[in-house]
Amino acid sequence: MLLGCTASSVLGQTQAEDQWWAPGSGLPMPAAARYPNPYGELGILNTAGDYPTEGHAFFEPIGSNGRACVTCHQPASAMGLSTALIQQRWRASNGNDPLFAAIDGRNCPHLPANDPEAHSLLLERGLIRIFLPWPPRDPGGNAIEPEFTIEVVRDPTGCNTHPEYGLESTEPTISVYRRPRMAANLKYVTAADFGVTPFSIKDSRPASRDPETGRLVNMNMLADAREPTLRTQAISAALTHLETGGAPSDAQLAEIIDFEMQIYAAQAQHVGAGNLEEPGGPPALGPHAMLEGETGVLGNNTTRYVFPMGDAWTSLERSGDAEADAQNEFRESVQRGHDVFFFRTFWISDSMHINNIGLGNPIKRTCSTCHGMHMTGMDTANGFVDVGSTNLPWATENEQNPWTEKKPEMPLFRLSCDNAHAPHPFFGRVIYSQDPGRALITGRCNDIGSIVMQQFRGIASRAPYLTNGSAKNLRELIDFYDRRYNIRYSEQEKIDLENFLSTL
Amino acid sequence: MMKRISAIAIATFAAGGIANAEPPPESQRNFVSCPIVRDTATVPCWLSEYEGELYYLGIQTDVSADFDPPFLGHRVLVEGTVSDRPRICGGIVLDPVVIAPILDFDASCNTILPAEDRYTVPFAPRPPGPSGGRLAFQRDPAPEEVLVPPYEPREYLLHYDFDMLIMGRHAPILGDVLDYATKIGASRIEVVGSSGATLLSDGSVMAEDTSIALERANEIAEILKSGGLGELAFAAAAATGQEEPDGVEDWRSRRAVIRVMP
Repeated sequence: MLLGCTASSVLGQTQAEDQWWAPGSGLPMPAAARYPNPYGELGILNTAGDYPTEGHAFFEPIGSNGRACVTCHQPASAMGLSTALIQQRWRASNGNDPLFAAIDGRNCPHLPANDPEAHSLLLERGLIRIFLPWPPRDPGGNAIEPEFTIEVVRDPTGCNTHPEYGLESTEPTISVYRRPRMAANLKYVTAADFGVTPFSIKDSRPASRDPETGRLVNMNMLADAREPTLRTQAISAALTHLETGGAPSDAQLAEIIDFEMQIYAAQAQHVGAGNLEEPGGPPALGPHAMLEGETGVLGNNTTRYVFPMGDAWTSLERSGDAEADAQNEFRESVQRGHDVFFFRTFWISDSMHINNIGLGNPIKRTCSTCHGMHMTGMDTANGFVDVGSTNLPWATENEQNPWTEKKPEMPLFRLSCDNAHAPHPFFGRVIYSQDPGRALITGRCNDIGSIVMQQFRGIASRAPYLTNGSAKNLRELIDFYDRRYNIRYSEQEKIDLENFLSTL
Repeated sequence: MMKRISAIAIATFAAGGIANAEPPPESQRNFVSCPIVRDTATVPCWLSEYEGELYYLGIQTDVSADFDPPFLGHRVLVEGTVSDRPRICGGIVLDPVVIAPILDFDASCNTILPAEDRYTVPFAPRPPGPSGGRLAFQRDPAPEEVLVPPYEPREYLLHYDFDMLIMGRHAPILGDVLDYATKIGASRIEVVGSSGATLLSDGSVMAEDTSIALERANEIAEILKSGGLGELAFAAAAATGQEEPDGVEDWRSRRAVIRVMP
């Protein structure tokens, strides 16, 4: 008997309508808010209290396309952006919302407006087009000589072969498609208290620094760690996603950063587990735990834990009350799921920036080996790794065969590493990738497919998952890792793990 | 542009002006073979087979260890000394031992042996999952050094895997270089890279391409420049020649020396 059905099977994959936060709406942001999701309710805390947003740079359309930061960092999606919310917005606006702007809300700007096919990656996978210069530039704007060449193997969006937007254009550009990241709990994401050293322990290359202060940063922002600080990220995002035409003012940047640093988000109420913030409950759960948690702590140990659960849900009594017993049964499943995350070993293999950093290939470890940051499950420093989410043979894509009309959705690149450098230790000199990730910034063969880990908090509000949105729900996320590392989770372990993740 | 060698260079040094190599001392085991992982009830141990005998190389711990386990999918260069310790995981214990993955793929190196009750590693300093709160070989932080002029030149030594350039394990040393150079207001940094050669137990010599010596020096200089020392004068050079291997700790010849000048 499989104990503890999953929450999603109870509630279904629905998301309440009318949760869209429109730029310039002027709505006040409350000190504490709840937003429904398929697993219950997300909780958001604003440490500044009830917060006016009228005229605020995070909420106002400060660029030319009508978007604001909040467009892609929606409170209802845990300050990220779920496809449920995207699709709701498409329906409500007939595809005219600024979210669907040509610049990056379409698969490519040359495609027709208001055509769902032209926005398919955003509508179906929640992906925003990220366009980067090729070859990459160093912080001074100088071209970096890459260790590999890029060939477009497959271009379903037409962007990478387009004469104006592609790799052969006058300003050679590569387009990859990535999920917006969560703009909350950022005190953790930006903490540089543990493992941040002048030279990265992953490859001894100089770590990024704050261009203003010279201080080291942890390189945990964005999928490719290309922006070192919230300030540079805000400027870059304004110039590209918001099409501001120039950097926001210092006052606007300060407003954006202050707001981002005062927002905490986590699941607060759960359809199966009930109130996640009740006194005596697991100390890791709920948005208040995120507010109060300590930053820069390595949690891959039994003194601090990544997600400290205590023992409140380890073994619960049954009262005979069906509803209470069902909740207790579910809570025990959540605790078991935590233990799967923390203690269930498997062989981690062929993962660049994990297996090659002195740990060996393979290494027998657990999820928390890589997802080790206390309270978030990110890395504590330099969190880019290749788990195969975008590199073949592991990256998910529609199969091609005579019996399906489905076509591949993601671009595919063939990256050929030159002979002047050591080959990639796990994939050799020719690597196929949907998104070369960090390598598009460094030009280094070993970085192909390395993507910065994301935090787990508020995960129930922001499906789909992985940087390319290929896991439509938590079960698919678990299944991806199960396939990738041949973990061979039992059905019960998968259920428990999903239940655990959905409480974060 | 760097030149890399992608194949193992096996050579005898007779043609290169170096005397014919005698086999290493009897106690040495220097060979290239597939690594083998043996699972245990705790952490896996790493083994390798040479001439029909199984040798124990080390166990999985964490990034604090001196022993970096090898890679399946690649053969490994083993340079070790046969110890009189009891066998571990079925293998004769090599101690000390230094290993280096070989760049070229070898799909035949894919053996993971299952755990057996008779093979245990009770000395493992950390389990295969979360630690108990300390790294396996956590060192106490060194006391803050008080530097008083006149400052002395200081040397830092990096050792390399075979045919390899900079690796993650070099990061702390480079950090020390940066720290010292910054604190004393260094004027100049000199880097001398070396290529290495290892005398294998079968009497052959496995040598790196000598061009890697300068590559190592140049790479370190570039990393230090972009890592915060860009204002300093740098001199990068290759060591003259290649040390003659004698089969004992030949891995030391694969190195670079960084000299920080006041």
